[in-house]
Amino acid sequence: MSHLKENELVIKLDGISTIYEGERNPAVHDIDLMVRKGEFLCVLGPNGAGKTTLLEAVNGILPLTSGSGRVLGMDLEKKDHSIRKRTGYVIQNFDIDPLAPFLVKDIVMGGRAGKLGLLSFPGKKEWALVARYLEEFGLIGFDKRPVGKLSGGEFQRMLLARAMVQEPELLLLDEPFSNLDAKMRGTVEDVLTKYHNKTNFTAVMVSHDIGNIPRICDRIIIIDNGRIVADGKKEDILGSKEFLALLPGGMGGK
Amino acid sequence: MVDLPFTLFLTSLLGAILAGYACSMVGTFVVRLNLASIGFGMAHAAFAGAAFAIWMDIDPMVGAVLFSITMAMLLGPISEKAKLKTEVVTGVAFSLSIALAFIFLNLTPGNAASGTALRILWGSIFSVDWYDVIYLGMLAACITVFVAAFYKEIVALMFNRKLAEAVGIHTRYFYYAILILTGLSVSLSLKLVGGLLVYALIINPTSSAYQFFYDFKKIVIFAPVFGIASCLAGFYFSLVMDFPIGSSIVIICAIMFAVSVAFSPKRRRG
Repeated sequence: MSHLKENELVIKLDGISTIYEGERNPAVHDIDLMVRKGEFLCVLGPNGAGKTTLLEAVNGILPLTSGSGRVLGMDLEKKDHSIRKRTGYVIQNFDIDPLAPFLVKDIVMGGRAGKLGLLSFPGKKEWALVARYLEEFGLIGFDKRPVGKLSGGEFQRMLLARAMVQEPELLLLDEPFSNLDAKMRGTVEDVLTKYHNKTNFTAVMVSHDIGNIPRICDRIIIIDNGRIVADGKKEDILGSKEFLALLPGGMGGK
Repeated sequence: MVDLPFTLFLTSLLGAILAGYACSMVGTFVVRLNLASIGFGMAHAAFAGAAFAIWMDIDPMVGAVLFSITMAMLLGPISEKAKLKTEVVTGVAFSLSIALAFIFLNLTPGNAASGTALRILWGSIFSVDWYDVIYLGMLAACITVFVAAFYKEIVALMFNRKLAEAVGIHTRYFYYAILILTGLSVSLSLKLVGGLLVYALIINPTSSAYQFFYDFKKIVIFAPVFGIASCLAGFYFSLVMDFPIGSSIVIICAIMFAVSVAFSPKRRRG
């Protein structure tokens, strides 16, 4: 599946900055980041620190204003949609019209749309993948449910299934546990661990909640004000003052 | 009852069916993508274009197509980046289009323009010829092929544009294709339904279908059914009651929508 060799960099960002239209200050500033194949990286930081922006810069949705980057061996500057076809992206939960005319199975299949390409239609293999990931994420029997009728947690798991159907080489997760109860969080972690072990995909997961660091995570970076303030192995970061500053009351002080 | 020659009856009937189909099909996109203000702007730009064409003494449909597509290309990027509220876009586009239309009609020498202009404003059963039917037929075929060929991309875009973009779909191409198809539907239906009312034919049948179904595939099937039924019923009442056809169609559409809301299973408890 992958064109990348073991230990090859899946993400290589050199001093990237990006700024939203109409804003004066970059949302992320001068970020250097290297992520190797198979790493499960957790990005922590307070709300508004630039975590989501970093994910959107990595999959090319937001253009870079300076610096350069390569993702899955392709230059971000070229705005090549092939990066996105190989990258699964679970966005933060968003409000959906309760009357929205979409069924769960069609939305999950949407994860496959880019990879299938234009004028290709989903076949048995694709529908089997949809069924498999719905089952994995505890959504058996949900295939014909309207998306507007799902609870927050069900909707989030549907988005996870949608990203996994893509069979991504790189998985970007934006607050994937924010609407899940403890039991479902465990289920989702188990599924991610299982497929990470099986396919060795690379993952970057963003969370503002330090209680949401999954077991599978082997490296943490902390972002604040659009800059990386800490980067290291999970066990090293968990005791750092930058990490403690994220605790309620900011025990580490800044 | 109005007694129509058979050929005129046939062209009007086919025109009504095809306009109902095309407008309600593009309506499925317009309603879901919140392009209502752009659709509204395009409908009035088409009227201004037709007025321009009357002044220039060319086919009103040519002017309508040019103006509505131009309006779509101007309003598309504005709406896409959502920097302006939709009511602002609608207010500016609507008033500008109508102001231009009045200037063009005012510049047209003699009174010959007034009859044509009024027909374009509220539609006429007598204005549809075989060329209109052929153009509408070609447009209906294009919309059908577009939906069938790119169904998965369209559903992804309708659900969430950012997520569609994130899996590698070039959503901008689809967005502009939808705007162009909407502009063409508005322009080619103008003679029959009228510039003031064609917008209702885009919104109402789809909004009616939305009351009954959660499956987008069913919306794509039933919105045109509602659209064609409205046009046929409007056509019938126009003949029987001697009403302007555009008004008849829109009244039927509105009644259909009201009934759909009242009986919508989506709004029922339990």
